[in-house]
Amino acid sequence: MGVLISLFLLFSAADLCLARPLPTRDNGDQPTAPEPSTNTNAPAAPAGEPMAHPEPKEDEEVRKPVPEKVMRATLPAALTPARHGDTSGSYLIGQRTLVEDYCGWGWVRKEGESWNKGRWIAIEYDPKACPAPHSFLPRPGDDKDYLYKLYGEFAPYRAYEPQADVWVDVFLIRGFVSLGPAKDTIRRDPPHHGSSKPNRFAERGANVR
Amino acid sequence: MVRLLALAFLIFLCPELSRAYDIVLISGGPALRSHERFKVNTHDRYWGNFVDSALARVKELRKEFGPDDKITWLVFRPGYIRRGIEEKQDYLKILEERGQLHGLTPIYFDDKEQLFTLLRRNGSPEKPLIARLEYYGHSNKKCWMFDYSNRVDGGAIEPLVVHVDDLENISGSSFTPNAMCVSYGCHSGEEFSQRWRMVVGRPMVGAVGKTDYSAGGMPKLSEGKGGSWVY
Repeated sequence: MGVLISLFLLFSAADLCLARPLPTRDNGDQPTAPEPSTNTNAPAAPAGEPMAHPEPKEDEEVRKPVPEKVMRATLPAALTPARHGDTSGSYLIGQRTLVEDYCGWGWVRKEGESWNKGRWIAIEYDPKACPAPHSFLPRPGDDKDYLYKLYGEFAPYRAYEPQADVWVDVFLIRGFVSLGPAKDTIRRDPPHHGSSKPNRFAERGANVR
Repeated sequence: MVRLLALAFLIFLCPELSRAYDIVLISGGPALRSHERFKVNTHDRYWGNFVDSALARVKELRKEFGPDDKITWLVFRPGYIRRGIEEKQDYLKILEERGQLHGLTPIYFDDKEQLFTLLRRNGSPEKPLIARLEYYGHSNKKCWMFDYSNRVDGGAIEPLVVHVDDLENISGSSFTPNAMCVSYGCHSGEEFSQRWRMVVGRPMVGAVGKTDYSAGGMPKLSEGKGGSWVY
């Protein structure tokens, strides 16, 4: 019985069972017109005219923008230029991190290193040469947890962080490339003394007016 | 005649009486609004907090001290230049005009080393001893910060901070024996004042808690924080 079924399939659907031979090297170089579809319902193209692209059917799935991408495009951080300033030479990967009442811009690390080896930096910039990335945005915190390639060098001096009474590295920015949102927030406190975690003395600003 | 003789005798006994002294007012720089605008604890909405408060003090000091005593007004220049660029104003010109109204010409300094040089005195007519020193600017319990939130967001650059560890650069011999010092910055009374007295050897009044310049004129202790002025 199984042999009969196999023979029936062989005769009825020969195209499926016996694949067409692959083109040889001699005739494979010459471009050939695509084979007409085996679908008999499809309208046949008139001889001598180029093949028209088939119209999408109503039930065919149309690729729509992913909501996540739409959200990203409308974020205020999308206003940051993709590339700005002098982007030649070595760079650091920087992730913008905001800590209320704490001096600095965020974390940086070398390419390929983990964030465990990251350094907390304050960015110093020349507004004419290259402003910091967040200065393009309506609010400085709009690029929170965004990644950048930061071009520049560390300053020979440090910055004083008055809340935690520590010194932080100063990065003199020359240029940057925006890399978009980071996957995760860096859950690590910036440098502080053991007894003075960030925000512990958040009310300790300087003079208000 | 007797009075003149008595005065001459006193000057002979105590030559310091015949000397003119110097009253030093120090104005730190303002923060940039681009750094501070959206913060909960924002600073320096007005650029001239530390200028106006120092100048408001001049009239009182002139009454308190002799006509020969000189008032020296030291101003941290880079802070006003950068704030002026941000707001498209020539703040140096404006503060010089305000100083002229009180008979003062600002003496600018650009970093703490220059400030230490300006505070180095030997009692000569060119470098009279300091009888009073007052600081108007940003500070915390450990230091004076001349460019707080100006070059970097929320902090101050190392050469522009007088930390308690830098106080050895200020000599007590630059001051009169009974000189008085006051810091009108925030939190100075919590540590800076004590370290000043230990290292410089002259008492300094400082605030425990924050100081508030928002009313104009002389700064006050922030209300509701339980602050006080201490030595």
